[in-house]
Amino acid sequence: MRRRRIYNPLTELLAAVLLVVLVLVVNRWEFSLAVLVLVVVPAVVSSGRPRQIGLAVAVVAGPLLLSSLLLHGLFYPEGSTVLADLGPARVTAEGLSFAALMGLRMSVFTGVLLTAAMTLEVPELLATMTHRGWNRKLVFVVGSAVGLIPHVALRARQITRAQQARGLVVGRGPLARLRALLTVTTPLVIGLLVDASERNHMLGARGFSSTVARTSYLPDTDTPGQRIARRVMLAVTAVFSTAWLILPVVTG
Amino acid sequence: MISIESTSFAYDDGAPLLVGVTLAVQPGEYVVVAGASASGKTTLARLLAGQTGADAGAVFRGAVTLDGETIRFDGAPTDPRIDPAAWSARVGFVAQGAWGQLSMMSASVGEEIAFGPSNLGVPTDQLRSLVADVAAALTLTPLLNHDPRRLSGGQLQRTVIAAAMAQRPAVLVLDEPFQGLDDDSAQDVADALEVLRGAGTAIVVCEPMLPRAAPEGARVLALADGRPVFDGLLTDARGAGLRRYGIGTAGDPPRLDPASDPTGPHGRELVTLRGVGFSYPSGRRGDDRSACLAGVDLSLHAGEIVALRGSNGSGKSTLLQHLNGLCRADAGSVSLAGVPILRQPTGALAACVGFLFQDTDQQLFERTVLREVSYGPFAAGHRRDDAVRRASEALERVGLGALEEAHPYELGFVQRRLVALASIIATGPAVWALDEPTAGLDDPARTLLAALVTAHARGGGAVVLATHDEAFARAVAHRSVRLEGGRIMPEDHPSV
Amino acid sequence: MSSSLTLSTEPTAQRPRRLLVALGGALIVATYLFLVIVQPAEIAGGMGSVASLVSLFGFLGGGALLVGGILPTLTTSSLVVMPLGIALNIAIGQIAGSLGMQIYLDAIGTVLVAVLAGPAAGAATGALSNAIWGLFNPFALPFAAGAALIGLLAGLAAKHGAFRRVYLAPLAGLVVGAIGGLVAAPVAVFMFGAAGTFGTNAIIAVFRSMGDKLLVAATKQGLLSDSVDKIVVFVVVALIVYALPQRAVRQFPFARTYRVLGARSGERTAQPAAGNDRVA
Repeated sequence: MRRRRIYNPLTELLAAVLLVVLVLVVNRWEFSLAVLVLVVVPAVVSSGRPRQIGLAVAVVAGPLLLSSLLLHGLFYPEGSTVLADLGPARVTAEGLSFAALMGLRMSVFTGVLLTAAMTLEVPELLATMTHRGWNRKLVFVVGSAVGLIPHVALRARQITRAQQARGLVVGRGPLARLRALLTVTTPLVIGLLVDASERNHMLGARGFSSTVARTSYLPDTDTPGQRIARRVMLAVTAVFSTAWLILPVVTG
Repeated sequence: MISIESTSFAYDDGAPLLVGVTLAVQPGEYVVVAGASASGKTTLARLLAGQTGADAGAVFRGAVTLDGETIRFDGAPTDPRIDPAAWSARVGFVAQGAWGQLSMMSASVGEEIAFGPSNLGVPTDQLRSLVADVAAALTLTPLLNHDPRRLSGGQLQRTVIAAAMAQRPAVLVLDEPFQGLDDDSAQDVADALEVLRGAGTAIVVCEPMLPRAAPEGARVLALADGRPVFDGLLTDARGAGLRRYGIGTAGDPPRLDPASDPTGPHGRELVTLRGVGFSYPSGRRGDDRSACLAGVDLSLHAGEIVALRGSNGSGKSTLLQHLNGLCRADAGSVSLAGVPILRQPTGALAACVGFLFQDTDQQLFERTVLREVSYGPFAAGHRRDDAVRRASEALERVGLGALEEAHPYELGFVQRRLVALASIIATGPAVWALDEPTAGLDDPARTLLAALVTAHARGGGAVVLATHDEAFARAVAHRSVRLEGGRIMPEDHPSV
Repeated sequence: MSSSLTLSTEPTAQRPRRLLVALGGALIVATYLFLVIVQPAEIAGGMGSVASLVSLFGFLGGGALLVGGILPTLTTSSLVVMPLGIALNIAIGQIAGSLGMQIYLDAIGTVLVAVLAGPAAGAATGALSNAIWGLFNPFALPFAAGAALIGLLAGLAAKHGAFRRVYLAPLAGLVVGAIGGLVAAPVAVFMFGAAGTFGTNAIIAVFRSMGDKLLVAATKQGLLSDSVDKIVVFVVVALIVYALPQRAVRQFPFARTYRVLGARSGERTAQPAAGNDRVA
């Protein structure tokens, strides 16, 4: 189901972020389109789960693209080339090209980051962070939050069922909905806080406040080569970005 | 090796607990701390685990001696503070409710077991061999790569025990480790504890009742209202008349008032299931580990009490949830008093079917017990003052009349269960659907539950209870229905 | 009398890394000022890429510095509720959806942590929340600094008594929401051209049709919708924390020390009616 992983998650995340930065730096629709076609699409297709990722990208980015097109396509007071005048709304060429630029940028943004995130092995990422000596509190909060999300969603569903079993019927008005939200959230929060208080004791007992470097049960999948590669990628992007932004200013 | 002398222990507003309690545990011993709800056994377990409650506003006077080192507490702010990490390396502790003891950041059982040592900087290869050893002792080896958040109750409990044992403490303290487990899982956990004890670990187990089976030579310290009432061998404890302190023996039938003998079915059919088939949508499978149903017929008349029996995953909970519309049959039909359940919202059926969940805490959300219990009748359409009156009466019946203004979560586990039961009584549905109603109850509450259930049936209601508690089912139910793999198995009808 | 089993009586409080926190805060403020002052050049093109880069690095980097400065100072009792707050932020969004609510409510966890564990924990929760949410929804990522600010302000409000009376909570929500909306607007504009849901974009469209610049229109919209959202969030959190058992609140030194919650009904002296008619 999952593709065979070649690089460490940290490397892949960094690559994704740097790609986003490059798209922002260059800020031309040609470049965004090229990244989209040459990098994002192949990455999604070869991810091993193209359907899920494709669907997620569509769900996340689709409404944004559409509403952005409507907003800038119809309302762009700065635009001078009027293609159609619809009373208060005017379709302008500038508005459409702005919408296209932003749309492409958002597509790359979503495609790159979601592909990286949805093929990400969270345990491996946490193990790498631990092996690289990241702050243990950060690793705990990130790991624990990611682990809690499905648990919280499941518990919320169970509580909703339990409340229905004792007579909760969700009404239509906003106040009724707010009340329904509270009948679910309150026991959810109380239950989670009770767990958290026990987890507090557990962390104490398991020596979480110790100051030595934490170790990981999972082996280190990071390699010296990748560590160097990450630094090189970072440096190249930094140099390129500076050059790209400064050169036009210097050369006038 | 560890001993405790408690003069008193009190939360800032509460009555003193653990007055004059002493307990000494030797290597390889098996000690049961037995007591009904609010007897102070959890407090004692936490003291043994080095949690004196000073950070939560509790005041402890007494002394704890561990490996010859005595630490005294005078209830003053200058009292010594126990180093939890150093303490847990010698005394492992498994609290009630496994979820709070998972770090939630481990995607595998192996990582969870290694959580403690990895915090102390044990290198990866040593972690691996350490985890392998602990896992082998607790027969967790095949589960090492499983997600701890998707284990069954027994497996989860053993994982938490393994995590507490990773640093090889000489004493292991467990607070109600068998709560909510079916017989097989409980046996697995008991076997795991026996392996640890065989290696010299002293085991202290807190239980609401005396265990039916325990290792030979097991000792019992019985508590009632925070005071010791018995200290001796388990074999002697059974004959010591501890029931007057609310401490029964697990597996004993509840005491029923002879006059309350259930009369049996009389009158109209309240619940009818015809050829009910049901399967969970594939996406939701990981949810509740619930099983599917196939071709289930069941009929329930007024005055009848039916026990649903069967192992975990046999479909008991799923069947129960068909009665109030939480699950909707894919095939066949479900009717309540002749009215088929079609598209009515579950909330609207609450007036006809009262449902007690296995995990009652998910139902409680109000600020006071009284408001909590009056929610049901109010939602069912009673006027507010009427709802409050019904709630008050229901609370009297479950013996919580004095706690109307308490916060539901400041009550103990047993009392919270009774609050949920009172909610059903106050709403007044004809059919009760109870999912594992006796799990974790102490003897008085179990007896009370038996009385309430039979009284409800005598009053023309009907009760279905899914339970592992054979003695309870036999004492209370008119007949048992056995489920296996979502089908009803033919069975003899043990009549009372 | 220290032994191998007890802790020394001197609590080893970790000093906050004030430099990091100050740098992070300064970076966020500077970024905001830069974006607001430079904005006239934005729409005409030219500065576009710089502005979006600045908003990405300024807000994200500022958030990261804040987290880096705050995290080491947090006690484990604060630490264990932060994942809970993060998970709540994300999960309640889903419940709100399943119940058909029209607002996001994606800061309930942040505000809850801020009220119980204080402004520092709240800020870190907000920032990390959006960083983790970015794994599911990349559009949340650049708003990390805004979320941190919400947590920080909610914690400060709680410290100064905004939750001691239930009726004060919506006022605090209004103020915090307005500030949050101000800060979020430039991010939305420079990163995504102010793309949002159809609802928020409709509001922007109205202002745009009146000739407002995109940043101005987005800021006005932010002021409007974030205030409403935060009012609801603060009220929900206030109702939740007042429904919590005292024992659950008492475990947090912040809530205890600053008496974040006022006298509570539901204790022995049950107060009549006031705010009691949630079921009505």
